[in-house]
Amino acid sequence: MSASLPDETIDPNAPVANMDYFMALEFKETICPVVQRYTDGLLAGKIIGHRCSQCGLVYVPPRGYCPIDVLETTEEDEVELADRGIVTNYTVVTPVQYYGQEATEPFAKVSVLLDEPGGMLSLQDVLEVPVEQVRIGMRLEAVWVPESDRTVEEIGNRSWGSADGCILGWRATGEPDVPPDQFNDRVF
Amino acid sequence: MSHQPCAIIGIGQTKHKKRRDDVSLPGLVREAAQRALDDAGMNWSDIDAVVLGKAPDPFEGVMMPELSMADALGAAGKPLMRVHTAGSVGGTTAIVAAHLIENGIHERVLTVAYEKQAEGNAQWGLAGGRSGGMGAGGIFAPWMRSYIQHSGAPEDIGWKVAVKDRKNALKNPYAHLQLKDISIEKVKESPMLWEPIHFLESCPSSDGACAMVLTNEDGAKRAPKPPAWVLATAMRSELGQFPGRDPVRPQAGVECAHILYDSAGITDPRAQIDVAEIYVPFSWYEPMWLEGHDIAGPGEGWQMTESGATEITGDFPVNPSGGVLSSNPIGASGMLRFAEAALQVRGAAGEHQVDDATVALGHAYGGAAQYFSMWIVGASLDAVAQNK
Ligand SMILES: [Zn+2]
Repeated sequence: MSASLPDETIDPNAPVANMDYFMALEFKETICPVVQRYTDGLLAGKIIGHRCSQCGLVYVPPRGYCPIDVLETTEEDEVELADRGIVTNYTVVTPVQYYGQEATEPFAKVSVLLDEPGGMLSLQDVLEVPVEQVRIGMRLEAVWVPESDRTVEEIGNRSWGSADGCILGWRATGEPDVPPDQFNDRVF
Repeated sequence: MSHQPCAIIGIGQTKHKKRRDDVSLPGLVREAAQRALDDAGMNWSDIDAVVLGKAPDPFEGVMMPELSMADALGAAGKPLMRVHTAGSVGGTTAIVAAHLIENGIHERVLTVAYEKQAEGNAQWGLAGGRSGGMGAGGIFAPWMRSYIQHSGAPEDIGWKVAVKDRKNALKNPYAHLQLKDISIEKVKESPMLWEPIHFLESCPSSDGACAMVLTNEDGAKRAPKPPAWVLATAMRSELGQFPGRDPVRPQAGVECAHILYDSAGITDPRAQIDVAEIYVPFSWYEPMWLEGHDIAGPGEGWQMTESGATEITGDFPVNPSGGVLSSNPIGASGMLRFAEAALQVRGAAGEHQVDDATVALGHAYGGAAQYFSMWIVGASLDAVAQNK
């Protein structure tokens, strides 16, 4: 939790006190079977979630369990989710220039409540919409990466990447906005 | 729960700064620890065990630093424990140390927490080295917006918190930010970092450490200065994301607060707590936690801020030290809240002392607002009963 002023600069005449030392550790994360079903789905252009048989909540990406009911969820609980939905919340981020940050301009990240049977994808990118026009209630649809170019390398077991490499981002459908009182209980 | 009372007899912290190039990482931690030992009238050899906390290792790129730091902490041959609960870790670390005393496992425990942000890159760490990282501010921003919308709070509440805490920091020589000319206009006109949060509504990035010496009733009798007594502790956590979660008022935070109040015998927190050090890394978290921990009713937290109730001179002072908004050595930030609460009930908070403070709340949260740690400290073991 920290912030640096965008205009903070380093005095070139100051004595060197610290030096950056970059190192990398390459490793391959073995994807668990539940996430594997999810990534296989994404490669085929489908968003797969698990719906808990007890509470009915939809988990996307699926976890293989419902933490609320402490219940295992399996392939039998799989549901194919919509690739359209509503912006329930968002923020516009001024990118901090840490090593590896490629973003230079403010960008929006939105939470998308998927149409029936539901499910929530967080931290999604918005395409073709200026950041100042991003708003709660806006209807969006997924823009899929062409099938031959899809990759799931960025997706890990702990929800890293959510749909990166398969869904490029989300664009406005042009349909009328949905009033917030229709999804106030499902914002996050 | 039958346990013996735990007393805080030594408190130390470093001067918090953007960079502490004058000390190494262990040197930074020793600076706080030495001050806590001096305060307690003790030497390193008097300590039975050390409990250390800091934020995740990728923030500095030094893995399991507690191992290499054992010598510097005088912990060679003694029990040394590391605690991990993200941003709340400083608070949780103090609680773990208190439990070692309360359960009679050790008689004198040194607890330390630190972060040397200038020697690492927390933004990089939080992004897992990937592009497009949003920082903690980006994660919390939508929740703050949701609070603003549903509470009907005017937009200047966040700016007011930002100004109040920075003015309090001017009374605290250890605080990192010393913004003498802070004003509502300056906050409002500072760059928008994570809508709706401006630069000056965000915590800084600091190097710093905090330490405390805890002991039992016998140890407190021998201590040179009046102790603060740990009257109650509570920890709760929940998953950072699940459908139907309310991250604005997380259930774990509500339950943690109520377990804490019940355990301390507090029935009316606003009336029975004299001062609170609450983890507020972004301005809107002051009213959000006042409501999220049932100190204020729904939609009434921002009214406490607006009315001046949370000023040092108000009826419920929040963050007289300047809080996380003025100093943020991440791993230490939670312990600083706990330590500042203890300083207040010892009457040792200097210029930022709240008059007649005998019961204080120390609070920390972390992760995706999913880990909570709190304690109530008192000037005496019956301080709550004495307080109305
Ligand atoms: Zn369930």
